[in-house]
Amino acid sequence: MSNLILNGLANGILYGGGLALLAVGMNLIFGVLNVIHLAYGQCVMVALYAVYVFAVLLHLPLLVSCVIAVGISALLALLIHVAVVNPLLKAPLINQLLALAGVMIVLENIILAVFGSDYLGIQISFPVFAIGDVYIKISSLIPFGVGIATLALLWLFLNRTYTGLAIRAIVQDRDMAELMGVQTGRVYWVTFAIGGILAGVVAACFAPIYTVHPHFGAGFTLTAFVIVVLGGLGNLLGGSIAAFLIGVISQVTGVVFTSEIGEILVYAIFIIFILFRPQGLLGARVRT
Amino acid sequence: MLQVEGVSAGYGKFNILSHISIKVDDGTTVIMVGSNGAGKSTLLKAISGVVPPASGTIHFNGQRIDGCPPHRIVELGIALVPEGGRIFSELTVYENLKMGSYPSSARREFAGSLQQVFQLFPLLKDRKKQMAGSLSGGERQMLAIARALMTKPQLIMLDEPSSGLAPKIVAKVFEFVATIKAQGYSILMVEQNVLKAVGLAEYAYLLETGTLVYEGEKQEFLKNPKIRASYLGL
Repeated sequence: MSNLILNGLANGILYGGGLALLAVGMNLIFGVLNVIHLAYGQCVMVALYAVYVFAVLLHLPLLVSCVIAVGISALLALLIHVAVVNPLLKAPLINQLLALAGVMIVLENIILAVFGSDYLGIQISFPVFAIGDVYIKISSLIPFGVGIATLALLWLFLNRTYTGLAIRAIVQDRDMAELMGVQTGRVYWVTFAIGGILAGVVAACFAPIYTVHPHFGAGFTLTAFVIVVLGGLGNLLGGSIAAFLIGVISQVTGVVFTSEIGEILVYAIFIIFILFRPQGLLGARVRT
Repeated sequence: MLQVEGVSAGYGKFNILSHISIKVDDGTTVIMVGSNGAGKSTLLKAISGVVPPASGTIHFNGQRIDGCPPHRIVELGIALVPEGGRIFSELTVYENLKMGSYPSSARREFAGSLQQVFQLFPLLKDRKKQMAGSLSGGERQMLAIARALMTKPQLIMLDEPSSGLAPKIVAKVFEFVATIKAQGYSILMVEQNVLKAVGLAEYAYLLETGTLVYEGEKQEFLKNPKIRASYLGL
């Protein structure tokens, strides 16, 4: 039993790294633009199809396909920003949500029209190795490793560059950031492009492991949203902690009971937590 | 250096300011007094581009700046220290100062500006790695003023720098203002603490419900019976 829990714990931490990567883009966009990117998961889904197209249909090397997919994802994010989000920045929240729900439906149906509803994927089977009694899947080590590396790069960007500093300043006080000379409009599109790159990196990590289907996006969006809310909207550190918590809880309960019961427990714990601490783990600020 | 002519401004259809004309000469300190809601902060916001004026013109060093966005105005050399300082409390003291040097012209001179600011306010050097949110009220004002200096301004506008602070700290804050005045910066300061503020100024304006009701040199201003009665309690 203790062995099972140890395995669950190890896999939960690995899973958490992937989840943290999935949520960070949506979190960043919320923090900077105050917009909930409802179609974020669909962007990941489109990027997954991009990997499939280049790797399987066009026979490019996997790594090259992944890089191209990240680029496409960034362009898609910019397109969504320019066409949908930017015109609605000052609009009521409900208008933004409805417009992004529209983007969600458009993306799903374009993919459905082009690729049909078959499950597609690059079938690569990764080995499993053991450290003592703990079994580690290479397929979950990849998203973990890339996730941590990407989060570290993002941290460096936010802490070591002027644009990163401006992003953190905007999250705290938009008007004051403008008075310091920040052109918020420019930072907004940079943020959206980073969000797109992050969505693309998520897809690149998941592509070799999972099959993809036009309706997979909604699941990604929901998972990311739950993590973002649990961590405290717009709080990147809180989001990362929340990702690891959810990863560990779902994997440990998954091995002790079944993965279905694990899922139920994760969301039950989430709902109870949010009832008592609606601002999330580290969210303290109330926006006016 | 700064000429505001016939400016009206406000939010939506409500004009808080009507036909205000003021000027700040090079190297001088000008204060604006008036009760709450008189429109003092709105005037500073209009100059800094946060609330674009509905009518009238604003010139800075001969260049027309009304209608320019805030980032452009700070680049031209006008820095605003808003009420309460509005420092970025979840950035460190150093990062707050670095944020001040965001305009490209100021960025090139970051190292020099930082040295200057640390010389004027040595306490900030000791606290540079500390989160700005952990500073006391007076230290926050110090940081807010220092951050404004980092933008390489010619004119610094201060919005009620003493508001909400204990009397002892208020005296400190006016010392900070005196410190930057001694550096030769032009200052436009909005204050309720008339006696202390006028002591630093060469020229003063009195604003009531959005209109200028009196202006004059420091000495005349303090002699005016209305000001003595309403603002000095004499």
